[in-house]
Amino acid sequence: MKIMLPQNFYYTKDHEWAAIEDDVATVGITDYAQHSLGEITYIELPSAKKHLKAHDILAVVESSKAASDVYSPLAGAVFATNDELASRPELVNNDCYNDGWICKIKLSGTPDVKNLMTAAQYEAYLKKI
Amino acid sequence: MDKKTVLFEKHADLTGKAQIVPFAGWFMPLWYRSIAAEHSAVRKTAGIFDCTHMAVLKVIDKDAANFLNAIATNEISMLSPGKAQYSYLLTPTGNIIDDIIIYYIDVDNFMVVANASNEQKVKDWFSKVSTEKIGIDKNWQYKVIDLKDSTLPDAKVDIALQGPASVQCIKNIFGVDVSTLKPLNFIQLKDKGFDLIISRTGYTGAKISFEIFVHPLKAAELWDLLLEKGKDLGVIPCGLGSRDSLRIEAGLPLYGHELAGYFNISPFQAGYGWAVKLNKKNFIGKDVAVKQSQNFDTEVARLKIIGGKGVRPIRQFDGILIDGRCIGYVLSCAGVNDVQIALALIEKKYNNNEQQIGVYYLARNQGHIQQGRKDKAVIGEKLDADIKGLVVERFEKF
Repeated sequence: MKIMLPQNFYYTKDHEWAAIEDDVATVGITDYAQHSLGEITYIELPSAKKHLKAHDILAVVESSKAASDVYSPLAGAVFATNDELASRPELVNNDCYNDGWICKIKLSGTPDVKNLMTAAQYEAYLKKI
Repeated sequence: MDKKTVLFEKHADLTGKAQIVPFAGWFMPLWYRSIAAEHSAVRKTAGIFDCTHMAVLKVIDKDAANFLNAIATNEISMLSPGKAQYSYLLTPTGNIIDDIIIYYIDVDNFMVVANASNEQKVKDWFSKVSTEKIGIDKNWQYKVIDLKDSTLPDAKVDIALQGPASVQCIKNIFGVDVSTLKPLNFIQLKDKGFDLIISRTGYTGAKISFEIFVHPLKAAELWDLLLEKGKDLGVIPCGLGSRDSLRIEAGLPLYGHELAGYFNISPFQAGYGWAVKLNKKNFIGKDVAVKQSQNFDTEVARLKIIGGKGVRPIRQFDGILIDGRCIGYVLSCAGVNDVQIALALIEKKYNNNEQQIGVYYLARNQGHIQQGRKDKAVIGEKLDADIKGLVVERFEKF
């Protein structure tokens, strides 16, 4: 099984990804996370305008086997959620880095990426777990 | 440290490491392709399951039957060569040690299959009973042997082959027709270097279902053969995920969930009172079992609840409600097609077909608790239902 990792994204130890463009981060869960969860049947999306610190609970992704909290990789305010996931949670299984995005966060200040991993670092991390 | 089954390398070849998880002390595959695909294969074609982690014991010698009849709740004398029986091991205080299947191979030779999670407990119980002569005659001659020991020539581990295509799959490999084998009956087969016990048993609810007991050193070869000769029949490898959804759909209990466990559920509450023969002269735990059989207010029910994509899955300990009042708890749940099937412990008087129920989702994380959601439901408490369902027949008819 090949785990896909877009090169220009940032990653967390809890298997979230963040794609940062200017002051906006698009957030989702990684290919490794969706493989581990199996068939995702339900996603609790964050409420819009919710202010988050890094590592606050952002969403809950549930498969038949587990309910998994998704943590915010960065601090900011949620300004868009992928409402399509409410009826089609399988998008996270099928395309976790594109159609399966969870929400967009307007970052507060300069993105604090020092606690995040690059694709290469995350790949090395996956090899260890 | 979790152990690898004799089929571990097969799983590693067939699936990613994220899907191999620790279970009952063993690394086991959760699924290969998907839980839904494997569930559906067992219902429509067939699937094979690594059950080589399960405990397999042999009880031999002239008093083997007496010993088993004293420690197990079902009646051994109803068995004859080639027949198997579902039974319970109870403590003197009536708690379930394990649910087991006893195979009558010969008058002085029985095979006992127990849950992997209870293997050590069962072995310890057998030694304790033997050393302290609990409920047994001190002169009885019998011996308990671990049949998974691969140094034994007749060693055995379990691979399950479940689903309608199973018969043809066995025929393709061994040329043997097992279609006439009745449920809980088994044959012994020596062919192609294998020394097998093929029994019509299983844990999926599939009408046509078998467990094949094979020497541990030959298990990988048999696994490959089943997949190769079953390929055109749609036989696929299945993991723990579909094993759970299949047994839940069927209504079969899992030790620790619908038997014993948090609520200390008795065989009577689980719907298996028939496997506890109270008219038997004696067995360990009988006094308490008699009382349990006469007096229980809650029992295991099977529920059908709205499900499918976009519906939050129900989980263990979620509250079962009638008219906004908590009357029980979810024990296990699985999504099957577009519904959720749950096994729940509910007040007996409500365990009637078509009874409408509601389910209260317990908090799934700290955030939910902060929003006021409870992390524990209490019987009698008023709660608002999050989702609706019905009590259905205790066992699914396939």
